[in-house]
Amino acid sequence: MSVSGAAAVVGIGATEFSKDSGRSELRLAAEAVRDALTDAGLEPSDVDGLVSFTMDSNTEIAVARELGIPELTFFSRIHYGGGAACATVQQAAMAVATGMAEVVVCYRAFNERSGHRFGQVQTAAAVGSVDNSWSYPMGLGTPAAMVAMFARRYMHAHGATSEDFGRIAVVDRKHAATNPKAWFHERPITLEEHQSSRWIAEPLRLLDCCQESDGAVAIVVTSAERARDLRRPPAVIRAAAQGSGTDQFTMTSYYRDDLTGLPEMGVVAKALWRQSGLGPSDVDVAVLYDHFTPFVLVQLEELGFCQRGEARHFIADGMLELDGGLPLNPHGGQLGEAYVHGMNGIAEAVRQVRGTAANQVRAVAHVLVTAGTGVPTSGLVLGVD
Amino acid sequence: MTRTLNLGDSLPEVHVEATPTFVISSAIATRDFQDVHHDRDLAVARGSKDIFVNILTTTGLVQRYVTDWAGPEALVRAVDIRLGAPCYAHDTLKFFGQVVERFDDGVYVVEVVGRTPQGDHVVGTVRIEVPA
Amino acid sequence: MTRVEEEAARIAAAGESAPRLARDPVNLPMVLNWVEAIGDANPVYTDPEAAEKAGHGGLVAPPAMIQVWTMGGLHGQRSSDDPLGAMMAVLDEAGYTSVVATNSDQTYHRYLRQGEHVAVTTRLDDVVGPKRTALGEGWFVTTRNTWYVGDEVVAEMRFRVLKFRPAEKPAAVAEAVPAAVIRPAVNHDTEYFWQGTALGELRIQRCGGCGLLRHPPGPMCPECGATKPTHLVSDGVGEVYSYVVHHHPRVPGRATPFVVALVELDEGVRMLGELTGIAPDDVRVGLPVEVVFTKVDDDLTMPTWRPRAGGGS
Repeated sequence: MSVSGAAAVVGIGATEFSKDSGRSELRLAAEAVRDALTDAGLEPSDVDGLVSFTMDSNTEIAVARELGIPELTFFSRIHYGGGAACATVQQAAMAVATGMAEVVVCYRAFNERSGHRFGQVQTAAAVGSVDNSWSYPMGLGTPAAMVAMFARRYMHAHGATSEDFGRIAVVDRKHAATNPKAWFHERPITLEEHQSSRWIAEPLRLLDCCQESDGAVAIVVTSAERARDLRRPPAVIRAAAQGSGTDQFTMTSYYRDDLTGLPEMGVVAKALWRQSGLGPSDVDVAVLYDHFTPFVLVQLEELGFCQRGEARHFIADGMLELDGGLPLNPHGGQLGEAYVHGMNGIAEAVRQVRGTAANQVRAVAHVLVTAGTGVPTSGLVLGVD
Repeated sequence: MTRTLNLGDSLPEVHVEATPTFVISSAIATRDFQDVHHDRDLAVARGSKDIFVNILTTTGLVQRYVTDWAGPEALVRAVDIRLGAPCYAHDTLKFFGQVVERFDDGVYVVEVVGRTPQGDHVVGTVRIEVPA
Repeated sequence: MTRVEEEAARIAAAGESAPRLARDPVNLPMVLNWVEAIGDANPVYTDPEAAEKAGHGGLVAPPAMIQVWTMGGLHGQRSSDDPLGAMMAVLDEAGYTSVVATNSDQTYHRYLRQGEHVAVTTRLDDVVGPKRTALGEGWFVTTRNTWYVGDEVVAEMRFRVLKFRPAEKPAAVAEAVPAAVIRPAVNHDTEYFWQGTALGELRIQRCGGCGLLRHPPGPMCPECGATKPTHLVSDGVGEVYSYVVHHHPRVPGRATPFVVALVELDEGVRMLGELTGIAPDDVRVGLPVEVVFTKVDDDLTMPTWRPRAGGGS
């Protein structure tokens, strides 16, 4: 049995992306789910499955109560922060393909900027976690610092520079500048501005780090068959995969033989290409998780777009621009649009497949989406019907 | 002259000596007559180690730190501060700052930290507009 | 709903207090007192020519003075419809008798000119709690002030105070210090490591079955499946495999910037720790380092790193 082609995304919804939503996380979740159902042309009573992140404060039952969803036959949560993003859609696709549910909504809602900020030192994360006790007490207590440790070794091994990281930020912000929904709409940056931005955790600068946002995104999944009767062109799920690698930790997989790759993303890549029968050359748009710029380069390598250590050369000559060989994050990514734990990237992939994106790439057949990096992760390939 | 601002610019460190005269004169100039800002005996009786700087003065010092650096033509649009350790009489209050955000309309956000021997007295941001 | 929450809802529902007019219009003597005391040398407040040049069209008041104009003064009393006063009374009654201001966020819509007469209103935004804080259990009370000249809003302020019940031990400074460091969680599988650091030993887990060295440790050997972990005592020397210079945000118990190094020990395992005794700019991958044991308190000793003597740093 294969999930490929069995299910499709038929609705996407979101709240505005802000720095202070002024309302509860549950209300954000409920608004995004309702918006996504409206987009799909479905009613809350059509929904029988809900999936979210373990980190989400809104339980499936709370969301169901607010929406008036009467009965749920499938509900599930995924661990590991942003690594869960594409896996929520994978869960939904599996549930639909196996008949466990007919219409599943995936959602993520948080007041990440005005409420609990991930970018601050997570003192609470260390308490009670033996894994975290090898890093937090030693002073390594923020996501940026944890990625910086990796980035330094990557620079040492492959000759990459801070400017190479900066090129990712520049292209994301360039795309955000022409996306009216993006926080950084009409605010592009130059490589010089990247280079003069302050250090956060060397070798990472402020402009290597994604923003912090309040907001919510929801994604509606149903069978490909039913999708064809709904109001929007289906974004068919060609592949959906999770991945964890050898000696895996959350953000601190520092004890593997090599510290320059993301083997968990390699696991995802293998599964995506196998399920879809596609390869890197078939990808028309790449929505790659970009909480920190260095991991975008490494993902290009793990996903097979270029050789190890070569990403900095691969991205030269406008490769990632909207009219380049591999348009990257046309919505502006999490550096430019908003940080909604990767769920806004899935919504963008759906818009690219539908042909309705603010920065629409021409003739899109397949879009690749990835989830959080440095953690056990996930990925999707969405395609036209 | 008004300075040209760039993202990432650091402001020079500035020290303010919070002498008792400073604590008291600034409290009175901001019309804050609470005893803990001018009467040491009462301040100690209430559990403080000495009289301490009032909030309106802290707000003023944060504004001054940024405009002294940015120049008289910089327009102050907002001062947001979070208060930490008290700044007691006889403390040296050390200010540090950096330009952390830039918007296209000439608006900049400067992050400011004011530190005493007890720790951070104030952490905040000042939003200024610099005419092109 | 608790009584505090009920009262908060009632006070918030009453909305804005009536506008209260400042004692004086914006005036030069009060501005001069203020700039003298604060030490603000910006000439737009005192020199008409400079004010003109900056585009103000005349002398203006320092924006940060906005609250000064409407302070109650030496014998001031809160007006009867003041929501902050009402909320403070409710919390006093509930036993939350102490107060400390935590945030003041002021937005200035325009500069004020001499002679303008401002009025202020206050409304209660929200009351959140009870929260456990370092000072004791308390409620965060947020109010919003709006300053008007006539009908025009000229400035706003969001102001937050913590109204708290003082902790049993007042000013728990002694408690604040250990709380300032992040402590490891220790269990059956990891206690040998922390017992070692307390004795000045850097211990590496060694499988009692196949001899595999492993850090971080775990209960079952991933190579041979044995559940007989033992340990050896490392020589405590190695090289920097990677490192981070941490600048932002601030980390409990540490002054920034500081360096955290991932060290590859001569025995072959890697371990994180703070690297001291060297300027951040001088750190490089491959730097020879050795372990130093830094005692935090009787219960915790941290392994840290320093450049190895004669290591060619």
